[in-house]
Amino acid sequence: MANLLWLQGGACSGNTMSFLNAEEPSACDLVTDFGINVLWHPSLGMELGENLQRMMRGLVSGEIPLDIFVFEGTVVNAPNGTGEWNRFAGRPMKEWVRELANVAAFTVAVGDCATWGGIPATAPNPSESVGLQFLKRGHGGFLGKDYKSKAGLPVINIPGCPAHPDWITQIVVAVATGRGGDLSLDDFGRPKTFFTSFTQTGCTRNMHFAYKVSATEYGQRKGCLFYDLGCRGPMTHSPCNRILWNRQSSKTRAGMPCMGCTEPEFPFYDLAPGTVFKTQTVMGVPKDMPTGVDKTGYVKLTAAAKAASPRWAEEDIFVV
Amino acid sequence: MIEDKLQPSDDQERNAIAATLGSGLKTEVFPRADSHEEVQQIIARLRAVDGDLTAKLVIAGFTDHTIEHGGLEQPCETCMYYLVHRRYCELPELDCPVEPEWSCRLWRI
Repeated sequence: MANLLWLQGGACSGNTMSFLNAEEPSACDLVTDFGINVLWHPSLGMELGENLQRMMRGLVSGEIPLDIFVFEGTVVNAPNGTGEWNRFAGRPMKEWVRELANVAAFTVAVGDCATWGGIPATAPNPSESVGLQFLKRGHGGFLGKDYKSKAGLPVINIPGCPAHPDWITQIVVAVATGRGGDLSLDDFGRPKTFFTSFTQTGCTRNMHFAYKVSATEYGQRKGCLFYDLGCRGPMTHSPCNRILWNRQSSKTRAGMPCMGCTEPEFPFYDLAPGTVFKTQTVMGVPKDMPTGVDKTGYVKLTAAAKAASPRWAEEDIFVV
Repeated sequence: MIEDKLQPSDDQERNAIAATLGSGLKTEVFPRADSHEEVQQIIARLRAVDGDLTAKLVIAGFTDHTIEHGGLEQPCETCMYYLVHRRYCELPELDCPVEPEWSCRLWRI
C-alpha cells in the first residue's frame, strides 16, 4: 500500500481533469490494482476542515507515511513572498509544500505550472509563481536546485498543459510498485521514457514535413503545420503522437499545431500577439529550427526536398 | 486530385500574370518581409484588396525573376507555399499560379 497525496497550488485543475480521464491505467486501477491509497485529492478527497488539517499534520510529522506527493499548479509566493494568495488548510500552501516535500519518498510535479511555472509564471507573473524545482528553464523553483526526495530523486516532472493522463498514472504506478529507482530522468527531471522523442515522432504529417509541403489552414489534412502555422512538434519533447490522446488522436493529427507545452519556455514568446500558431521567421527562415538542425543545412535540405517532392505529397490523400 | 485542379485557367492566369509582370508593372519588391510584423502588415493589405490580382502582385512584390536577399535566393520553387507539380502559390492571400523562378517578398522557407 502506497500513500498518495495530491495537492493543487496555482492551477486551473486541467491536470486533475486529465488524471481522471486516464485509461491505462485508470485512476480507479491505481486503487484496485496497484494498492495506491489516495489520502486526499482536490476532486476526490473526503476529508474537510479540521479532519484534513489533522491528516496533513500527521503527514508532516511522519505519523502517516507519505510515499507519493503529487503537486499540481504553481507554488504561489504573492504577495511579497508570503504565499497568502494561496492558502490551504489554515496556512499558505507553500508552507505545506515545503514540509510535505521534506517527508515524501517521491515528489511528482504534474503539469507545466508545477514543473516550471507555466502560464501563471509568464511575465509579469503577478502571483509570483514558480514551479517546484524549476522556473522556466532555470533552477529557480521553490524547492531549490539540490532538492531530493527521501528516495533520492529530484522532483519527477511530468509537464504538459495538461499532462497526458497515462503519463501521470504510469509514473505513479512505477513509483508505487517499487520501480521508482528505475526511472531515468532528463536534465529537467522528465522521465526519459516519455520525453526523449519528439512530438513529431509518429506524426501522420511527417511525409509532408519531409517533402516541405505546408498546411495553410487549421484542420487541413494535408501539409505540415511547422512551416507556417507555428507547430513546435519538431523541437518539443513529448510522446503525443506515440501515446495518443483519447487513445486515437493528437493535436497535429487533428490539424492543430503543437504549442510545445512540455518544454520549459511554454508559453513561448510570452504569448505576444501574433506569436501563437504562427511560425516566427527572420528573413523568411524559421526562427526556431527543428532540434539539431542549423540554418544552412535547413535551407539546403528544404530546397532539395521541395524539388524532389512527389505529386502525391501535394494531394489530400486522406480523401477517398 | 491535382489533375482535377489543373484547370485550363491555371495556365491562362499564369500567362496573364507573366504578361503583366513582363510589361513593367512596378511592384513593391523591397523592403522584403524580414520580420513577423512586416509579414502581417503585407498580409493585411492583401486581404483588403481581395480579388484584385494586379493589386496583389504589387503589394506582394512579385517579380518574374528570382530575388536574392540577405545572402539567400528567394525563388517561388523553394517557398513553403509553392506547389511544385501544380506550379502554384498556395498562400491563401495570393492563391495564384506562378513560375518556379518568380519571387515575392512573402517568401518563406
